[in-house]
Amino acid sequence: MVSTKPVTTDKTIIKLENLSKSFQVDQGEALILDDINLAIEENEFLVLFGAGQCGKTTLLKMLAGLESITDGQIVIEDKPLVGMDPRVGMVYQTTALFPWLTVMGNVEFGPKARGVSKKERREKAQYYIDLVGLNSFEKHFPVMLSGGMQQRVGIARAYCNDPEIILMDEPFGHLDAQTRYMMEEEVEKIWEKEKRTVIFVTNNIEEALYLADRIVILTECPAKIKKEYKIDLPRPRNLVSPDFLELREEISALVELREGAE
Amino acid sequence: MKEKTKYIFISIASLLTFILIWQLVSTTGIISARKLPDPVKLFETFLYKLTNKNPDGNVLGVHIWMSLKEALIGFFFGIVIGVPLGISMAWFDKFDKFFRPLFDLIKPIPPVGWVPIMITFFGIGIMSKVSVIFIAAFIPAVINSYSGIKQTKDVHKWVARTFGASNGQVLFTVAIPSAAPMIFTGARVALNGSWVSLVAAELIASTKGLGYMIQTARLVGRIDVVFVGVLVIGLFGAAMMEGLSFLERKFVKGGRRK
Amino acid sequence: MTNTLKISKNTRETWAYGFFGILVFLFMWQLACLYTNFGKIFPTPVYSLRAFLEAFIKPIGKYTLLGHIAISLKRVLIGYALSSVSGILIGLAMGHSKMIHAIIYPIFSIIRPIPGIAWIPLAILWIGIGEPTIYFIIFMGGFSQMVMNTMDGAQHVSKELIGVAKVLGARENQIFRKIVLPYCVPYIFTGLQTSLSTSWMAVLAAEMITAREGAGWLILAGMQTGRIENNVIGMISIGGVGLILASLLRDSERRLCRWSVRSR
Ligand SMILES: Nc1ncnc2c1ncn2[C@@H]1O[C@H](COP(=O)(O)OP(=O)(O)O)[C@@H](O)[C@H]1O
Ligand SMILES: [Mg+2]
Repeated sequence: MVSTKPVTTDKTIIKLENLSKSFQVDQGEALILDDINLAIEENEFLVLFGAGQCGKTTLLKMLAGLESITDGQIVIEDKPLVGMDPRVGMVYQTTALFPWLTVMGNVEFGPKARGVSKKERREKAQYYIDLVGLNSFEKHFPVMLSGGMQQRVGIARAYCNDPEIILMDEPFGHLDAQTRYMMEEEVEKIWEKEKRTVIFVTNNIEEALYLADRIVILTECPAKIKKEYKIDLPRPRNLVSPDFLELREEISALVELREGAE
Repeated sequence: MKEKTKYIFISIASLLTFILIWQLVSTTGIISARKLPDPVKLFETFLYKLTNKNPDGNVLGVHIWMSLKEALIGFFFGIVIGVPLGISMAWFDKFDKFFRPLFDLIKPIPPVGWVPIMITFFGIGIMSKVSVIFIAAFIPAVINSYSGIKQTKDVHKWVARTFGASNGQVLFTVAIPSAAPMIFTGARVALNGSWVSLVAAELIASTKGLGYMIQTARLVGRIDVVFVGVLVIGLFGAAMMEGLSFLERKFVKGGRRK
Repeated sequence: MTNTLKISKNTRETWAYGFFGILVFLFMWQLACLYTNFGKIFPTPVYSLRAFLEAFIKPIGKYTLLGHIAISLKRVLIGYALSSVSGILIGLAMGHSKMIHAIIYPIFSIIRPIPGIAWIPLAILWIGIGEPTIYFIIFMGGFSQMVMNTMDGAQHVSKELIGVAKVLGARENQIFRKIVLPYCVPYIFTGLQTSLSTSWMAVLAAEMITAREGAGWLILAGMQTGRIENNVIGMISIGGVGLILASLLRDSERRLCRWSVRSR
């Protein structure tokens, strides 16, 4: 098989090279990711767009070191990724907060585990709690918060651990539309303020277009890269501008075409 | 798959080692056989008790049959009366308010506490034991069916109401089925309680049954018979629980609640 | 405002019905004692109440009522503390490590279905009649439940949360302390609750069979000496103390597990 080397630049921070993943199942092997090649630039906001069950979560878990790599490699800043890496943080599909810890306890978990002094990690956690707009909720337990607020804690927790790369796995999939819009604005604001490389997974076209520098569209399982779009619209984006609507049409057509072909 | 086989292997090895050490410890006299009879001896005693009436007047089968009979009768009545009572208390407010304080009063008394009173009433015999077991089964049966019904999701009730179901229909088609897993949990607690109280009642005052057998064997110093009795009690307790789980799997559809 | 009014009316009604229910019960008890054969063996509620109050000052056997209760309480707390601590430790070990589970579980499953009370004759033969035997029986009553509940918790620790902690940089021993342990706390409390009531039951049975004092002895001696009122007194106090202990435990769970949905 001829594989296309990812186009790299000086600013490239992550490279996925011929990355494949298959799971051991009863009937043998199930191929989930098929030869993915992708280069991601520093501070880029990359959106991975794909249908449910196509392998998006699996890909993120591999980047986070939670799933093994079957074939190929992931290179971060010129070093191949092996297992867990402190440079990578993650925001999860379900909120995945520790229910027995308060908001503060959750946000300071990473620094605490790494042995950062109490004063320092508290200050830092407080900064991110304020940043996501949860000031005065520090002592609340997750059960007492709404879905949107829980996800804000998840975001603060990921940032507070100082990763260079933040993975977000459909973080707003479970929220209602209104909360979702608010959270999208919030994520963009945070990203503008605290520049990091973000890899954001979604299956919502508007969300993708609103947030992305670049959208990478995956095929159905086994996932390959189907097409890429560079989005140059000015931020914050207007959801009803003609350019926005045109891109939305184009991507919808592409996705529907794929579904129609099944 | 391979890992699983490895652990099964370790389990078997561990069990065999345990029995072997037990055998060695008691045959070499490190612990006197009068305190800890060895497994081989226990097996012999078990076979012996199958046909021999010494030292307690009945063969093992009779004791087992007696204990099972009492436990299951008491359990049966405890469930048959406790579950409907719990359901009614949860569904009919007035019923709840009337019976609740009375029930709360007897609820914390351990079933064993009733043994002397029941003996005073019914004398030593099957009736006194069955009534203690009845109480042991009745209380968890009421508590669990009560909370099972109370935990019926409001949405489910509303759905049924908007389809025009009457109060009674909602109870029988929505509340009771959704409480079924909880009721079965109650039955499991009840069965366990029945077996424990049976043993206690038989130890305290009785003339037949497994509890009586180990108590008598203790008095004449036949530790091997005590051991066999205790193991048989455990075995039948476990077997009854398995039976109940089997029934539960057959009757409760849509999965057990965690 | 209207809301609070409605609630207070509701509580008043609850009290009224409950009071009525208990009154009917006491009345029937009194009637049965006065007009049927029941009265020949059973004391009336009025007589029982007087005996109950008297028992606080007049000793029955070696001690007054409070003395007997204190003795039973001490026994339960010792046996219960021992079974809880060892049950939690073994449960955690078996739930956390598949290897330890594979080694211990088969042996444990032989002991598990044996009721604590069934150990009484063996314990007497092993240790003789005395306090250690009673502790042992209470211990055996609660131990398996503690192990089973704790193990259940440790085995079902959310894999996802462990992953989250790892990504945030937690090491193996931190994962045990910061994820596995707190995750098990509600399970441990469930174990503590069931094991407490089994322990109460065990102490009663043990005292009935092997002791000369304690609430269990009080109940049984009531029967043997034909003084049924002592029996009734013993039962009421055992129930009362059991209730207090259980609600203390529930209280501390509510305080410790504010984060858990279950404890609300
Ligand atoms: N541990 C696993 N073992 C076997 N199959 C898995 C495992 N994890 C995920 N899968 C399968 O991989 C596919 C992709 O899953 P996932 O990455 O969660 O998809 P997405 O996040 O895009 O919805 C699914 O079909 C799922 O069943
Ligand atoms: Mg997913």
